[in-house]
Amino acid sequence: MPTPTLTQSVLIAILQAILVVVFIFVIVPLTLFAERKVLGYLQQRLGATRIAGTLTGLSGFLNRNMWKMGKIPMLSYWRGIPMLVGDVLKMILKEDILPTKADKFVFFIAPAISFVASVVVFAAISFVPGTLFTLPQWVPVIGGLPVAGAVGDVNVGLLWILGIASVGVYGIVLAGWASNSKYPLLGGLRSGAQIVSYEVPLTLSLLAPVVMSGSLQFSELSRSMAVGLPIWGIVPQFFGFFIYLTCGFAETNRMPFDMPEAENELVAGFHTEYSGMKFGFFYLAEYINMTVVAAIASAFFLGGPWLLPFGLQGLFNHFLSPHLPALLVTFLCEPHAIFFVGKIILLLFVYIWVRGTIPRYRYDQVMAVAWKYFIPLTLVNLMLAALVRYFAV
Amino acid sequence: MENLLLKIGQNLFLIFGLMALGGAAVMVAAKNAVHSVMGFLLAMLAMAGCYLCIGAEFMGVAQLLVYAGGIVVLFLFVVMLVELSKAKEKGVFQRQTPFALVLAGAGVVGFVGVFWKTIFGTSAQEALTLAPGLVTQGEKLGNAQMLSRGLFAEYLLPFEILSVILLVALVGAVVLAKTERV
Repeated sequence: MPTPTLTQSVLIAILQAILVVVFIFVIVPLTLFAERKVLGYLQQRLGATRIAGTLTGLSGFLNRNMWKMGKIPMLSYWRGIPMLVGDVLKMILKEDILPTKADKFVFFIAPAISFVASVVVFAAISFVPGTLFTLPQWVPVIGGLPVAGAVGDVNVGLLWILGIASVGVYGIVLAGWASNSKYPLLGGLRSGAQIVSYEVPLTLSLLAPVVMSGSLQFSELSRSMAVGLPIWGIVPQFFGFFIYLTCGFAETNRMPFDMPEAENELVAGFHTEYSGMKFGFFYLAEYINMTVVAAIASAFFLGGPWLLPFGLQGLFNHFLSPHLPALLVTFLCEPHAIFFVGKIILLLFVYIWVRGTIPRYRYDQVMAVAWKYFIPLTLVNLMLAALVRYFAV
Repeated sequence: MENLLLKIGQNLFLIFGLMALGGAAVMVAAKNAVHSVMGFLLAMLAMAGCYLCIGAEFMGVAQLLVYAGGIVVLFLFVVMLVELSKAKEKGVFQRQTPFALVLAGAGVVGFVGVFWKTIFGTSAQEALTLAPGLVTQGEKLGNAQMLSRGLFAEYLLPFEILSVILLVALVGAVVLAKTERV
């Protein structure tokens, strides 16, 4: 393997960054659309269906006839897909309103902070340990070189993710302040307090994997959590997963913790005064943060790029892989980026599922849950992880 | 191309350092308190970049996590909630100006002296280190592992005493806040 020169490694890093952005901009609109449809089915309605009937005449025609026969048309499950484009177009084309007494610079920079912080987190997320794919020889300058599964799989990857994610709170608080209006200010403050408090149990619940694997590097963490643990490692991992996921819901301001945008109390929270693409950046940032939380949960608790969750893969590899044919071993026992992405998509579905199922907490309940229940629970979980580390590893 | 990238890589520390200085200047000069907090945030982020440039990645992300993610948020909360116009009417800041100038002058003289000695003096020739054993280990281990070994194995007692001092400060702050309210 030739050692890449500085120019080549910079070009490969740019390529990786482009791939990550493409991944984000594929998965986020799909989540938006899935949210409309899945929420629709959870509430016993069809979700977004209107646009397909006018854009593609055939499906509309078929659907009308099926309605006439008294059946729910099969095709309506797929209707509304052009809504994907519609959502994006609406954000871009809508008038961008600047309130007269708003602080112009802060009002402009707040969505950018929110968006950039949520994207930069992806730098340390490793989709697969080692090489993702090798570039073919005909590519100019960087042909034949391997492209790693992470943009920068640094030694302190987990801390990088937590640090950058904590910068994202400025976007929300500053947006609330810059709008120069009461509801956004209250929404921003609420949300800031909520995010700062939930950071504590979130970080503590992520410390359990760190203690058990003894590393802060993202790929090393996910590797040892998937295949390097004894059987007792499942217990702290299992509790840790649910605590982490709940804190992740609160951290991304999703139902049942979507305090900043509790419509009945605060109009639309911190982004009341925002419209057009500035609002779009907040919207995108929320969904990218969801993806990040899902990626961390799937990497540390659900086995990451390996198939089986909660460290079961190690047992599977140890006992079953000698008896399987070679093809199945490559498929089931080795890491694949596709499993990782699949788990992210599954967790994004869980997000929407929870949103359709659990009603919103009251604000004091949200804070009480964080400080009185989650922090003690995560400390107990950390003790369990330390015991596993001390006796079993 | 190669040379240009190499030059940029070598001068990244300088770039981040200038950004930190710019942020600090904005923080001092801004009329609006929230803008000055944003300058502070920029300075903190650039400081983290500086740490990353000199290979202290744990310090860098700790800077991000603690200062940019925690302390500056508290600053922002306080600044947003406190009415600064009342303090301005009372002329609190104007009265403090001469003292502030004297203190700042003393600070500048001290820092220039220290920097002069470290950059041009003899001490720049050898690395500043407390435990040579840790440094030789560090070549094999990662940054965070080395630091934790130093904190929790070799200097456990001083570290714990420091954390107790922080706890005392925390309790003291709560007690002060309580007596004011009652």
